[in-house]
Amino acid sequence: MPERVILCIGTKKGLFVAEAPKTRRSFALRGPFGSGVAVYTALIDARGTPRLYASSCNAFFGMKVLLSTDLGKKFKETKSAPAFPKEDGRALANIWSLEVGDGKKDLWCGVEPASLFKSSDGGDSWEMVPGISNHAHARKWQPGNGGLCLHTVLRDGDRVHLGISTGGHYRSEDGGASFTASNQGIGAGFAPDPYPEFGQCVHKIARHKDAPGRLYIQNHGGWPERPGIGVLRSDDHGHTWRSIAKGLPSDFGFPMVVHPHDADTIYVVPLEGSTRTCPGGAPAVWRSEDGGDSWSRLARGLPKKESFFTVQRDAMDIDELKSPALYFGTTTGQLWMGRDGGEEWNCLFDSLPPIHCVKVAMV
Amino acid sequence: MTITIHVPGALRACCGGASELFLSAPSVRAALEQLERNHPSLYRSICDETGTVRRHVNLFVNTSHVRDREGLDTALAPGDVITILPAISGG
Repeated sequence: MPERVILCIGTKKGLFVAEAPKTRRSFALRGPFGSGVAVYTALIDARGTPRLYASSCNAFFGMKVLLSTDLGKKFKETKSAPAFPKEDGRALANIWSLEVGDGKKDLWCGVEPASLFKSSDGGDSWEMVPGISNHAHARKWQPGNGGLCLHTVLRDGDRVHLGISTGGHYRSEDGGASFTASNQGIGAGFAPDPYPEFGQCVHKIARHKDAPGRLYIQNHGGWPERPGIGVLRSDDHGHTWRSIAKGLPSDFGFPMVVHPHDADTIYVVPLEGSTRTCPGGAPAVWRSEDGGDSWSRLARGLPKKESFFTVQRDAMDIDELKSPALYFGTTTGQLWMGRDGGEEWNCLFDSLPPIHCVKVAMV
Repeated sequence: MTITIHVPGALRACCGGASELFLSAPSVRAALEQLERNHPSLYRSICDETGTVRRHVNLFVNTSHVRDREGLDTALAPGDVITILPAISGG
């Protein structure tokens, strides 16, 4: 039985690891690892002996992948990081997503410029996935403000969903050999065509692992002339999408999280579209318990005013205890925990570097 | 011809802790190609996968930045010293 909660907190200045008993009474913080270097994604692979991975996005000397096999007491670099073939002409600019594959040491990795890599040896060697990396659309995608990033990889057998900013949602039905743009109903507020075939600025995609046909997207919303395109749902494995933004104070945001025990319960962090900060300076997580048909505000314990942070796309996660806790990190370096599915919030750490990603697992 | 490469502290772990490397090469490009073969981790920290020197890494031959000479085609002479100098930047 898992006895501990492990948090990986990727920041502008390295990776931190926080550990608590499953009571979550207090968290012990370790780090920073990869000191001084931004960490945009982390992965806690709890299959077998836990392995903690993190990207280390060194603007000076290039990308690295960090690995810990002792629950984050120490990290070492894997033997290599993803790299484009020499003749490709592209160079790795960032690592945005790490996910487990089928095999014990299989990893999938989404990068910037938007491309996908796979490893079968725990990150020591990498192979580019041409089905998306060399897709006919790939050279037409444009970078969003965060860069041209492949930030979401969701797998369901041979079906694979990818989120690309700015590229949209791509779906594979053959294990990643080929991909199709699957954006029917996903709007683009910044393009002349409000519903293009591809090129949407998808911020995050989420789903419950036991309900793979139901997907949720936090898209780039916040467009007064095209309301409601920011928060979307699909009930057909991502073939078509419809807005579920009604009832939210803003349809702009970055993270999208699904409750671990209920595919109808989802969480978003609405932000003002123009500033990417908390509406009115009063942060809140919003929850729907009916798949997006209605929303409620969760803010007990959060600041009531004068808070203007951003919660980035991978900076919110939820643990899998019976009554799960949500966690989110802010660009102002606070790590918040919301017990009982976000009903009651308290700040675990208030002075970390700006937080890019938060991942949690039970080990 | 013997060329000396000064390795900054931040990159010495990529070459077994050495602060200096010695090789024979007629140009900066040829010297980097040798690093790619013999110290791939060090090379990858200097150049990206297209072979472009990373934005925040500076290469000097003696006291001249290679961008002020012939870039990676800058010729080397016996006794030359290549210094790998990371930029001091950030926040």
